[in-house]
Amino acid sequence: MAPVTRPAALALAGLRKRFGATIAVDGLDLEIPAGSFYGIVGPNGAGKTTTLSMATGLLTPDAGTVLVHGVNLWQEPERAKPMLGVLPDGLRTFDRLTGAELISYAGLLRGMDPATVEERRDDLLAALDLTGAGRTLVADFSAGMTKKIALACALVHAPRVLVLDEPFEAVDPVSAKAIRRILHEFTQSGGTVVMSSHVMALVERVCDHVAIVAHGRILAHGTLADVSEGEDLEERFVALVGDTSEQRDLAWLRHF
Amino acid sequence: MLVLIAGAVWALSLAPSTWWAARVIEEQGLGNQVDAITALTAVIALGWLVVPVLITGLDDSLDPRRFASLGVSARRLMPGMTVSAFLTLPALFFAYVFLTLATTWRYDGRALAVACVGALVVLAMVVFSARLAVAWVTRLLQSRHARAVVLGLVVLGGLVVTPIAYALVTEGLDTVLNIDVPALLETIRYLPIGMPSVAPRYAADGQWWDVAWRLAASLAWVAMIHRAWRANVAHALVNPLYRGEGVRAGTDALLGSARRNARRRFGRRNAAEEAVRARASRYWITDPRYMSGLISILVFPTAFFTLVYPIFGSPVAVVMAVPVLLAGTIGWARHNDVAYDSTALWLDVVSGRLGRDVMTGRVRATLAWAAPATLVAVVIAAAVSARWDLVPAEIGAVAGVLGTSLGVSAVSSVVLPYRAPAPGENPFSAEVGSVGAGLLAQFVSSIAAWIVAVPVTLPLLAAIRWDWRYGWLGLVFGTATGVAVLGFGTAWAGRMYDRKSGRLVNAVA
Repeated sequence: MAPVTRPAALALAGLRKRFGATIAVDGLDLEIPAGSFYGIVGPNGAGKTTTLSMATGLLTPDAGTVLVHGVNLWQEPERAKPMLGVLPDGLRTFDRLTGAELISYAGLLRGMDPATVEERRDDLLAALDLTGAGRTLVADFSAGMTKKIALACALVHAPRVLVLDEPFEAVDPVSAKAIRRILHEFTQSGGTVVMSSHVMALVERVCDHVAIVAHGRILAHGTLADVSEGEDLEERFVALVGDTSEQRDLAWLRHF
Repeated sequence: MLVLIAGAVWALSLAPSTWWAARVIEEQGLGNQVDAITALTAVIALGWLVVPVLITGLDDSLDPRRFASLGVSARRLMPGMTVSAFLTLPALFFAYVFLTLATTWRYDGRALAVACVGALVVLAMVVFSARLAVAWVTRLLQSRHARAVVLGLVVLGGLVVTPIAYALVTEGLDTVLNIDVPALLETIRYLPIGMPSVAPRYAADGQWWDVAWRLAASLAWVAMIHRAWRANVAHALVNPLYRGEGVRAGTDALLGSARRNARRRFGRRNAAEEAVRARASRYWITDPRYMSGLISILVFPTAFFTLVYPIFGSPVAVVMAVPVLLAGTIGWARHNDVAYDSTALWLDVVSGRLGRDVMTGRVRATLAWAAPATLVAVVIAAAVSARWDLVPAEIGAVAGVLGTSLGVSAVSSVVLPYRAPAPGENPFSAEVGSVGAGLLAQFVSSIAAWIVAVPVTLPLLAAIRWDWRYGWLGLVFGTATGVAVLGFGTAWAGRMYDRKSGRLVNAVA
């Protein structure tokens, strides 16, 4: 009997994006298995954020398709977007709302009933150590708190796929541990996490799959073992991407 | 660059008439010459204080917060900022104006020299005052007392305007012009803004002590304003915006609104639309960018009913036009509404195909205060003109113009968005590089709003011109048209929002 193949949680095919003369993403193909914790790594300017923006409906691709559990995101957004929980990087939030109100807003936008929103809002505030900040305007949040509240907004509607751009940036170690636990339990229950990061140690610690992106293309992808090929992942990354830093002597810095 | 060229062309076009005006003043005789220059200088100074605050668009490249991370002291920044403040088109144009007014003293070399010095002193006064006024109002609007500040400004405006309006109504225009205005000018001549205007007269008479103390006092005032501006810059450099000001809310207002909506038997709205409405309403009463816009919109009708109407005893048509213009201004001011969310609209975009809900919720938040405000204006217009028979026509015109302009603005804000001051940024700034895009959007949206709004005002004109009973036709036609265009525009904007969702974040970033 032939094995039943499930559609990938997120399938990116032929994604392209150009900004003026700059090709940010150049024919990117990637399939993210359902239930995986997928890390996307790459140097600055590799196209990670652009790729994730196209994969979540925030940026129209010049070419290519995005399938969320087999549903075309750009042709059937009303079916695909409810399955996605999104945490973008570098974008603002509605900071005239309190932390609690922002989570409620995210839940109500998803069509959830007020009672469920309230229950999940309180759960998320407690789980992410934001209970005290629930009544404070997001405008007064620190960078880490803003990251956590945005993550709560991505979780409130219990999506099937989480797409997180630098979810641990500026987050304290205690909260990071709590977030790792939540995400791990999420994938154990069948959910899929796609996460971008610059921190190789973090990717090695939490992810079971990884894709290395550079110049808008996938250089390697698969399980951690497949990609690292027995080497340290960071060394493998540098070998694939190339050491682009100029070895210039900053003698003027050593004046103490 | 486009704006700079247009502004330069406009300024150049005014240059000949400025020179001609100076020649006319020159021929009025010494007393009238001094009065005219004093009055003109005072009006220009008032404009420099008020216009940058009310009409957003002041270049934010001199915003001291942009230099905060460089660790530069105010002492090092101020020389450059001071010079830069004079290198704007308005400053250069008014330098020409003040120096041209100084040439009215050209038949006496001593007086001319003093007048030229005085012109430069006055220029410095108005330029620094404008910077200081914007700095103060920005700081106040971004504090937790923002709403109190807005109320205070309105009350202050009323306290200033009421005596003038009372004088005009009780004494009449002739008396005010012949007695009160000269008395006011006499007072202004002893204020720093007026002293440079009268100093040349004393120079012509050889009374150098009177010249010296007047110019010295004006210079001292300039130095004081500059010092106050510098103090604001120093404060801004080391006091990052604490935009929330520690405000804490007792309850989750959005959830409360959602529960009330869910309990409704009639008129229950879509949950997403209600959430957007509640969120947008919060911004109308707490965000300085929205509050500064509110001030700008309400100044004109307030000034008309308290100043202009008493002066001119305006025809009924003019009085009745004010609420209509208010409605049009409110509606058109939302022509870039979506951009005011800045990149925060990502949350709306990723949450589903919510274009219609988003646009309807935003419009409802605006209507919540716009409808009562325009209704109040209608009542005031009817009361001052004693034409209560025109109320149906007026309501129809106002409802029509408000609905049509909001409908056009809904479409414009999605189809032609341009970068607006982001949350926390100076509400009086214009984004460098976006001014051209903004002008195009403003031009197109205003033309479209006019075209759509004109038909709904025709019954009002007919009611005023011929028979007040046309007003009943206007009430039905105007209201129905306003509702229809608003509904159609909002729905169309919603569809465009969904279609353009992948480009909106970048368009407003």
